[in-house]
This record gives sequence, C-alpha cells and structure tokens, in this order.
Amino acid sequence: MKRIAAKLIEFYQAYSAMREPRCKYYPSCSNYAATAINRYGFKGVAMATWRIIRCNPWSDGGVDYVDYHLDSADARHSMVLTTASGAVKEGVL
Amino acid sequence: MGFILDPLYTIVSGIMIGIHKVLSPVFGANSGVTWSLSIMGLVVIIRTALIPLFVKQIKSQRAMTALQPQMKAIQAKYKDDRQKQSEEMMKLYKEHKTNPLASCFPILAQAPVMFALFTVLNGIAHNKPHGFMKGEYLSSAAQAKFFGSPISETFLGSDKVIVKVVTIILIAFMSATTFTTQKQLMTKGMPKMDASNNMMLQQQKIMLYLFPIIFAISGVNFPVGVLIYWSTTNLWTWGQQFYVIKRNPTPGSPAYEELQRKRAHKAKHEGHESSAGSEAPVDTPKVEGQRQQPKRAKKKKK
Repeated sequence: MKRIAAKLIEFYQAYSAMREPRCKYYPSCSNYAATAINRYGFKGVAMATWRIIRCNPWSDGGVDYVDYHLDSADARHSMVLTTASGAVKEGVL
Repeated sequence: MGFILDPLYTIVSGIMIGIHKVLSPVFGANSGVTWSLSIMGLVVIIRTALIPLFVKQIKSQRAMTALQPQMKAIQAKYKDDRQKQSEEMMKLYKEHKTNPLASCFPILAQAPVMFALFTVLNGIAHNKPHGFMKGEYLSSAAQAKFFGSPISETFLGSDKVIVKVVTIILIAFMSATTFTTQKQLMTKGMPKMDASNNMMLQQQKIMLYLFPIIFAISGVNFPVGVLIYWSTTNLWTWGQQFYVIKRNPTPGSPAYEELQRKRAHKAKHEGHESSAGSEAPVDTPKVEGQRQQPKRAKKKKK
C-alpha cells in the first residue's frame, strides 16, 4: 500500500511540475504526504488529508514539517554536523 | 465513498437539470443544444464560483512586489541551500499574511466533481439514474446530440462514424488547449529558472508533450458529454490564464517584464503631466521606495 501511495504521489508531482507552484506550505502538500505516509502509514494518510484541508485559500501557509526535528533544514544541518564530528572522533580514536 | 459521491451526483445533475429547464423553452427540451449547453453551463457555474478565490490569489500576488527586496535578500543569503531558502520564503509570506500561492485544496476538490459528472453521463449511456438525472430527463438526455453525435456515447463504445469524428475533434481540441495553456505558462507566466532547476525544466517539457497523449488515450473511453465538459474547462483555464498573463503577470516572469516595459514606454510617451495621474506605471517604484507603508495598509484592509 505504501508503495502504491508513493507512486501515486510521484505521478501527481510529475504532473504538477508543469503547472504553477500552488502549495501554500513548505514542504508542499504532496511532499508532506509522501513523508507522512512513509513514516506513519495509515495515520500518515490522515495527517496528509488534514494538511490538504488546511491548504485552502483562507490559510496563510507557512513552514510545516511532518516532524520538524527530523525534516527541517536546521535539523538536517545539525545531523550532518553530528555525524561528521562522530566520524572525526572515530577516526582519531 | 457513497456518502461523499451521492451528494455530488445530486449537485451535478441538479445544476444540469436546472440549466436544462431554463433553456428548454429556447432550444427545445430534447434538443442536443440544450443538453450540451447544460454541460457547458456546469463549467461556467463552477468556474464562476471559483473566481473570487482566483481574484484573492491575484491580489496577494500583486502584494508580492512589496516583498521583492526581502525575497531577493533571502535568495542571496541562502543561495546554496534550497530548503532553507524555501523555509525562509514561506516564513516571510506568513509574517506578512500574504501568500501568492493558490493552495492545494480547491484543485483536488475538483477531481470528485469530474468523477461525479463522469458517472452521471455514463449513467445516461447505460440508462442508470443518478440524482436528478432520472425518468424523462434520462431518456431525453440519452438521445441528445452534439453535432450529430449522442452525448452519452464513447469513441470505443460506438460504431457510428459521426461519434468517432466528434470525439476525435474534441480530444484534439482538449489536447491542443492543454498544450497551449501549459506552453504559455512555461514560456511567459513563470519566473525564469536558474541552471539549478534544469532537471525540473526538463521534466516539465516531457510532461508538456506527455499529457496531451494521455488525454488522447483516456479520451476514447469518455462519453462525448464528458469531453464537452473537459474542453470547456480547458478553454476557460486558457482564457483566464491569458488574461492574467496580459494584465496581472507573476512578478519575475517574462510576461511581467514585458508589461513593465510597456508601462514604462507608455509613461514616457504620455509625458510628465500624466505621471501623477496614471497609477499603474508608478506602481512598482513607489512600492519599492517605501516598503513599510504599503505593507501596513494591506494588513489593515484585511
């Protein structure tokens, strides 16, 4: 099921790539859905649905990650740093 | 799914029957013109209902010119980190409560409407009632013709030459309008992409040619009525986009630059006396000069 969902989302993304970007959030609804479903399965579907409902003409959008501490740019950077320093430590020892 | 789709069948068939009732005295109850127009009318009603949302979006796109300096600053600051760049951009929009993007829900909400129409029209072909499409309306719609082809028949399901001809023309029209709409958007309507977006540009090009082909393949299974609906929607989308690209293009796009040039040219020709009166040509410089004030004014309006 997860793989079917991922394929469907991929197809939608390929299609929407040729249209104007439309999502009010970052990451986009489809990107959010892919992460949420992959990470949380059925609960992820509900999360993605709720996100799409929130992405309506009256919302202000914004930055909205599935898990901020895992997915945000800052989180990613700190992860790279820790693994890098870890590697250095291992190398030293 | 029934609990979502049943009301949609009722709404879609209700609108069709409503328009049919209004137009019957003009074109006749069993006329193909009446039935074709009631399908087209469905598009007109749906798209007209969406116009306020569209205007709202265009307005906030306009407000974006005021944020142009901040956006440029963000782009420069995080030019090596696309993710951070996008995050900061979204934060900026949210802070100013102006988001130029259309949002996902409306487009996705249209899919069930399409599906409902498809089911209602397919019901006509197979003599199955849906919502208000029943009884005499069902039999009347079943024999209604669009340029000689019954609106409930499909390319693959019919042996009549006229059905094949009409469906092929409609599919060609659908593909052509989709193609030109996308092409127009890509060449004129979107901000220019830098080299780092080359892959996306490539993907867009593939899609540009792939989608008309997909339409052609799937179109042979669709009743003429659905093809009428689809063609009308495409025509509307094209017209709407044409208007926006001419009058209200996205900042940063080639069409926007062209409009700026035209306005500058016009302002030059009209001379100094009109420079105070005509608002449009001075619009951007004014906003760029003092970006705090217009921003506040916009907040208060909401």
